[in-house]
Amino acid sequence: MVKIKYILIGVLIVILGILAAVIFFPNEEKRVKKQFNLLSEWVSRPPDENTFTLLQKMKNIGTLFDEHCELKAPDQSLSGSYRREEISTYAGSARSYFSQLDLKFYDFHIVFPEKEIAKVTLTARLTGRSTAGEQVDETRELECILKKIENQWLFVGIEIVEVLKKDQVPTEWVNLSYETY
Amino acid sequence: MEPTYHHGGVNFCWRLRTLFSEPKRFDVVAVRFAGSRVMLLKRVVAREDEQVEFRDGKLFINGKEIEEPYVRYPCNWNLPLRRVEKDCVYVVGDNRSMPIENHHFGQTSKSRLMGVPLW
Repeated sequence: MVKIKYILIGVLIVILGILAAVIFFPNEEKRVKKQFNLLSEWVSRPPDENTFTLLQKMKNIGTLFDEHCELKAPDQSLSGSYRREEISTYAGSARSYFSQLDLKFYDFHIVFPEKEIAKVTLTARLTGRSTAGEQVDETRELECILKKIENQWLFVGIEIVEVLKKDQVPTEWVNLSYETY
Repeated sequence: MEPTYHHGGVNFCWRLRTLFSEPKRFDVVAVRFAGSRVMLLKRVVAREDEQVEFRDGKLFINGKEIEEPYVRYPCNWNLPLRRVEKDCVYVVGDNRSMPIENHHFGQTSKSRLMGVPLW
């Protein structure tokens, strides 16, 4: 009887240990997803957002990115390398065009092509209303590269996948690749 | 794809059609636009290695004007000549009443074609 009691206690300890490991040491996939959840939370804007929250979110957005982040978009004028501070500033001014904004991510496909590099393909949906009262509802597929720096997954590259290419693809067009980082 | 298919309507697609055979010109296809859930219905107007062009709303393939009876609304698009790349098709919607920059169309990889609508 005593033996069974000890076995049960042992099993309970093992289960609790596994649960604690899952809760307190989430796997890398969960950590990567968490960065997207934070990005979604900080980009989104409720209709009654106060100035303090607005400034705080603007500042927070920058912390999700590496010192330099590469953006590749079908609109060539938006493509390029942006500094963390620039991202915060641009995100802030972009948010100010909207009275309400909601960014959601779906269909995550996460791979780790190299140690401390994550490549994430996902669907991003942006909905909201501009300050002029115009409804916005845009969905795009994104390919993001995140790098683990000082135990934090940071965005180093974001590509808006151009599924339908109207224009001729330039010969110098190079796919966003984790090898660049 | 108005007026052929209505915006937001429900359609069932036959996936094997694009899996085992090449899409033909004028086929309506479902294009995987984002993730596994966002699809667009578009019409194939050109296949790989063909040249596509719009002049005053008229479609030209390899320099020849193509009749498009499914286009019902007036269109004045102009798009310079471009060649469709390998393993790609050129797709356009039937509703071309909006300015060219507001319409989702262009070259897409065949791997993005998810089937054809059943009706």
